[in-house]
Amino acid sequence: MTLEAILLNGLAVITTGLVVGAIFSLVAAGVTIMYGTIWLPNASNGQFFMLAALLTWSMVIGWGLSPFLGAAVVIAGAIPFSLLLEKCLIRPFYNVPNRNIVYFIMTLGLAQIFAGAFTGTYGQWTDNYSIPAAWPGALMIGPFPFPRTRFLVLLVSFSLLTGLFVFLRLHRVGRALRAVFQNREAAILRGVDVRRIYRFSFVLAMLVITTGGVLFAMAYGFDLTMSWTMAIIAFAIMIVGGPGSVLGSVVIGMIFGFTQAAVSLFASPTLATFSYLVVMLIILLVKPSGLFAR
Amino acid sequence: MAHRRAAVVALTILALALPFLFAGNRFYAFILGITYLYILWSSGMNLLSGFTGLMPLMYAGLAGIGAYTTVNLVMKASVSFWLAMPVGALAAAVVGVVLGLPSLRLRGFYFTLSGLVIQTALTMLFVYVPQFTAGDTGISQIPPPSIPLPGRTFPLTGVWLEETLAVAAVLTVYLVRWITRSTLGTYLVAIREDDLLTEALGIDVVRNRVLAFFISSLIAGVGGAFYAHYMGFVSPRSFDVLTSLNTWLIVGFGGQGTILGPIVGTLILAPIPYLLQELYLYKDIIYGGLIVFTTIFLPRGVYGSFLFYRRTRAAARAAASPKPEVARS
Repeated sequence: MTLEAILLNGLAVITTGLVVGAIFSLVAAGVTIMYGTIWLPNASNGQFFMLAALLTWSMVIGWGLSPFLGAAVVIAGAIPFSLLLEKCLIRPFYNVPNRNIVYFIMTLGLAQIFAGAFTGTYGQWTDNYSIPAAWPGALMIGPFPFPRTRFLVLLVSFSLLTGLFVFLRLHRVGRALRAVFQNREAAILRGVDVRRIYRFSFVLAMLVITTGGVLFAMAYGFDLTMSWTMAIIAFAIMIVGGPGSVLGSVVIGMIFGFTQAAVSLFASPTLATFSYLVVMLIILLVKPSGLFAR
Repeated sequence: MAHRRAAVVALTILALALPFLFAGNRFYAFILGITYLYILWSSGMNLLSGFTGLMPLMYAGLAGIGAYTTVNLVMKASVSFWLAMPVGALAAAVVGVVLGLPSLRLRGFYFTLSGLVIQTALTMLFVYVPQFTAGDTGISQIPPPSIPLPGRTFPLTGVWLEETLAVAAVLTVYLVRWITRSTLGTYLVAIREDDLLTEALGIDVVRNRVLAFFISSLIAGVGGAFYAHYMGFVSPRSFDVLTSLNTWLIVGFGGQGTILGPIVGTLILAPIPYLLQELYLYKDIIYGGLIVFTTIFLPRGVYGSFLFYRRTRAAARAAASPKPEVARS
């Protein structure tokens, strides 16, 4: 390999790693918030991610909306959708003691419903979905072109993650949410309305996951197999980073993103998934509460 | 007790006789064979998910390891199926325990969560090593098992194939029934109900969990081997996460932690995709919907709810007419 080729490959790994890592972090942050507060391990997170991506695709390709408008519509639609889900499926289990396993099985069922619905509808039309660039053209980093849309996606996801962080540290509701993370009983004693926090964090987490899906659809082409892959990557990130830790999900999400970019470039994406499995098993063996658990 | 034993014997005889009753119609006989396979699989999963309280989401992946090991030994090394099948089952159990061990030490939920990741990785592995699995194309024309008699081998065809599956299913159900009534079974239920208390009583929780997982994975591997040689075709799709999930649905819908539950669940659910083939496109939606339905409205399962109803009615009757307890002894 010449020096120039190494440089170009390196830049490709860095840019792809940044964008993919940011999206992994977003989805994993959503999953970890949901698990940390509600004790809901959402196995259908990958399907919600896929739903957001597919709907964005429909808005842009089918209805001819601009990608920005399509993204806004999908993200806004996630709010009533997640409120409905919360009311019908999530709320009935708030008082069940071992609800995490019940939730897990239920969301797996939900994932199967969505998977079946996607293959029955979208799967009949095409098997590769991509939308035109929201912001055409590319930034040049030396000789290396970096598509502007991906740069924008990177910017948006990083500002969202920062916003999430600031919100959880400083805002009243965010702090109440973290109080429920850390000690449910103490939070109740301090006058936190836990059920409202549950509902709020479900909607917040769903919004974050939906945004991840929308951003992914804007940055890359995708296919239906992405949904399961995304679901297990998000879970692996959550286990390694420590359930309930947004910082953990961001750091591990970025590391996994770079791994994905590097391994996909030099070997195959399948190997990247194996490496997540190995890392997850090692963490479970060595420090089961995750790297960033308090 | 006597009429109960008679019922068990009658059910066993019925299960072993059914293949001959269906022998006239290959289509129904095939569905019967699938039903026996799922009785075997779901009883094995029930030992873990129902009696031990651990949901093995990598179950189908382990069945796949059993299937591919057996198929490779039979088709490439021309080993007899009856020698290859135990090797395949053992491979499934060993892989299962090695991958499952880190999470078996933790709370049951971690086991389920990492099971999803392990299952997905196994499905990818099956696609990734085409020299053993033929990748997404799948392996076809897998020969049925045969009985080696002195002089010549006698391949199992037609009704004898279903009869073999019937025997395997019956033996599995008896094995699970025997285990659940043994000391190990008592320990397992104790672990399911309260692992901390069980540990405090001096029972090694991890060792008993590993043992249950090992046996359950063995059954998964045996089922995988039979599946491959019964269907004559396997692909990584046969052993993906949805297969694990649907096997759980059969257990959960029938009634977890009961011997008859998985059988009831199988009889109701396993034939659906074959009997309603025009609904094939909606299969995942129906099964997924049933999973959501079962978790919300039927957590005890059909048979479990029946048992619960009978018990509460008996308790209500006892409360209505109190009998002096002393008189009994």
